[in-house]
Amino acid sequence: MTILVAYLPERSGDAALHLGAELAVGLGTTLTVATVVPRPWPAPSMARVDGEFARWAQESADRTEQEVRTELARLAPDREVSFVRLAHPSTSTALLRAATRAETGPVDVLVLGSTTDSAEGRIVAGTTAARLLHTSPVPLALAPRGYTTADGLAPERLTCAYSGRHGAGDAVVRSAARLAGRLGVPLRVVTFAVRGRTMYPPEVGVTVEDEVLAALTEEAATALTRLVDSGVISPEVERTVVPGASWRDAVDQVSWADGDLLVVGSSPGSAVARVFLGSRASELIRNSPVPVVVTPD
Amino acid sequence: MTTTTPLRTQLLRRKPVEKFGGSSSGLVRHIGTFQLMMFGVGATVGTGVFFVMHEAVPHGGPATVLAFLLAAVAAGLSALCYAEMASTVPVSGSTYSYAYATLGEVVAMGVAACLLLEYGVSTAAVAVGWSSYLNLFLDNTIGVSFPQALSAGPWDAHPGMINLPAVILVAACALLLIRGASESATVNAIMVVIKVGVLLMFVAIAFTGFDADNFADFAPHGAAGVTAAAGTIFFTFIGLDAVSTAGDEVKDPQRALPRAIIGALLIVTTIYILVAVAALGTQPWQAFEDPDQASAGLSKILQNVTGATWPGTVLAAGAVISIFSVTLVVMYGQTRILFAMGRDGMLPKSFARVHPVLRTPVTNTIVVACVVGLMAAFVPLDHLWDLVSIGTLVAFIAVALSVMVLRRSRPDAPRGFRVPLYPWLPLLSIATCAYILSGLSWVTYAWFVGWVAVVLAFYLLWGRRHSKLNAPVPDPVAAEGDAS
Repeated sequence: MTILVAYLPERSGDAALHLGAELAVGLGTTLTVATVVPRPWPAPSMARVDGEFARWAQESADRTEQEVRTELARLAPDREVSFVRLAHPSTSTALLRAATRAETGPVDVLVLGSTTDSAEGRIVAGTTAARLLHTSPVPLALAPRGYTTADGLAPERLTCAYSGRHGAGDAVVRSAARLAGRLGVPLRVVTFAVRGRTMYPPEVGVTVEDEVLAALTEEAATALTRLVDSGVISPEVERTVVPGASWRDAVDQVSWADGDLLVVGSSPGSAVARVFLGSRASELIRNSPVPVVVTPD
Repeated sequence: MTTTTPLRTQLLRRKPVEKFGGSSSGLVRHIGTFQLMMFGVGATVGTGVFFVMHEAVPHGGPATVLAFLLAAVAAGLSALCYAEMASTVPVSGSTYSYAYATLGEVVAMGVAACLLLEYGVSTAAVAVGWSSYLNLFLDNTIGVSFPQALSAGPWDAHPGMINLPAVILVAACALLLIRGASESATVNAIMVVIKVGVLLMFVAIAFTGFDADNFADFAPHGAAGVTAAAGTIFFTFIGLDAVSTAGDEVKDPQRALPRAIIGALLIVTTIYILVAVAALGTQPWQAFEDPDQASAGLSKILQNVTGATWPGTVLAAGAVISIFSVTLVVMYGQTRILFAMGRDGMLPKSFARVHPVLRTPVTNTIVVACVVGLMAAFVPLDHLWDLVSIGTLVAFIAVALSVMVLRRSRPDAPRGFRVPLYPWLPLLSIATCAYILSGLSWVTYAWFVGWVAVVLAFYLLWGRRHSKLNAPVPDPVAAEGDAS
């Protein structure tokens, strides 16, 4: 079992490395760092220009490997590190193939960083992450921009975002509970109850969505109790329903600490269903102040 | 169960309210009078006037202009009563909740029946009207429109099989509501600009074909005709109560609310009267009865005046866009009223259930969409508007009564806004609404009474036993340590 970190030097920086190291230390697995290099054309070009390009690609990959190994020696000193170069024009396809084919053993978690457009401390899923979000067969971990971890430190607590939905929602909680067990950290299950937006003109009053929120909160509390009753989680697991005026508001109301990870389920695979139902995963990812682990449903 | 509660108690019990005196959420008051006024204009102006001339003018003739004034007075008085209720009773702002808190459970159910007409039927009516403007727009732009069989119900003037565009509109709005879409204040402002712009364009163009001779026979059916016309027109003023529901957020409500209501009313009435005068000036009043006028009436008038199709098309485009948003808003209002009733136990719990992922009351919305869709598909427009008006008028009378009852039962509850000239103003409001009611046809009354009877029967057989206000079944274990 290994943690596969996608290291894309100019784009996401070291955040993914830090998160990958943290997870490897926590789970006690090996660490595989993958970088995607351009694939040279199979046919030789005129004047051998392609050869020069291929050599440049090779050298830059060598340099990257050197930097990565130095960094990881500090972050995850006793973890075995291997370096893989994937050659494919599409980054996300390359990573998908690596995650499924697993040249260095089955992949536990695939780790990605944020794009450079995100604010410091926030996650913005770039094109690679966006594509992998719904198609990855293994859990996907996203590191906020500028994420760092102290040397040799592991995750300290897992927070699972429970949608309240029977079936699909329970599966996510089960995965989170398993992951928490493997990491040896406490689990907390949170349902975010977000208020709908006020409709203008408010012909039935501006506060009617508060009542809908109240009903949602009640039902969420019942669903959390049902989780305990059906044995998905044990009674000592901390459970809360967090109501908020918006996703950002709801997420901010939860107390976050260093070493926290947020586990969410990904939305249905069908593109039509996704457009129609919207993506809670995207909302949570966008507003989360801590790294997010997306488990495939 | 709860058969121990006597019937009289059940019928007259009132929903307890945590604290009288407006919202306790501590909202910072920040809306000024002008903003509130624009709010009111935005919530009221537009939809009805696109459809109403064909229905109202055959009753009132050119004196339909007076009918607008009458309806405006009734709407304004009711909005003032509404404002006092909204600022006193901290429940979400529908007449049903106010009635429940002040007049009792059975009256609340009666009011709920009226509201189902005011919101649900008007959604269907608006969708039917929308489909006619859509057809005209499509016909003028791409030359293809829905065939007659798919553009009208079986009992229409030009009968067809089913009004398909109306059904599509209802379905689209339902999908948006399920998804959780809502119209923001900005989008609402844009819709208002479109509506008012298109109406003013209509006025400007129609005045070029103005012929004062068309006003010669001013009141062919006399005062009775004007009253009948007012009954049909009344629904065009629905929405003014939205000003009242924003009462929590306004600075100095005692002065701002009446000014905003009256200001909005003046603006809206002026626009409507301009449109009516312009329309009446273009053709003799008998021409409004023409079945051709039934669909996309204002566009047809423009086409007759200019001989060109582009003004009618522009108007139709504006109508299609803005009416879409109105349908969404009104259907939303309907679902939230049913939601409140579900929470109170007056309707099955499934109406109050919120889908955990979508975070909207999905079952509720689907039921509303089905019923409204069926109405929109098959019932002709004229029947629908009168029902909306009667429901609204009765609901407004209920609000005026609640104001008076509340002044008697809770005279010292803090009120953000107090109706001036009490008790004359609420009484005048009741009188005006009753007067307009008197102009509606007996068929409308029959449907209305039948519908209210059905709702009340449902309440008496089911609702009163499931109401949340029923005494809870005493739990023998808890009763031991209970200090009640």
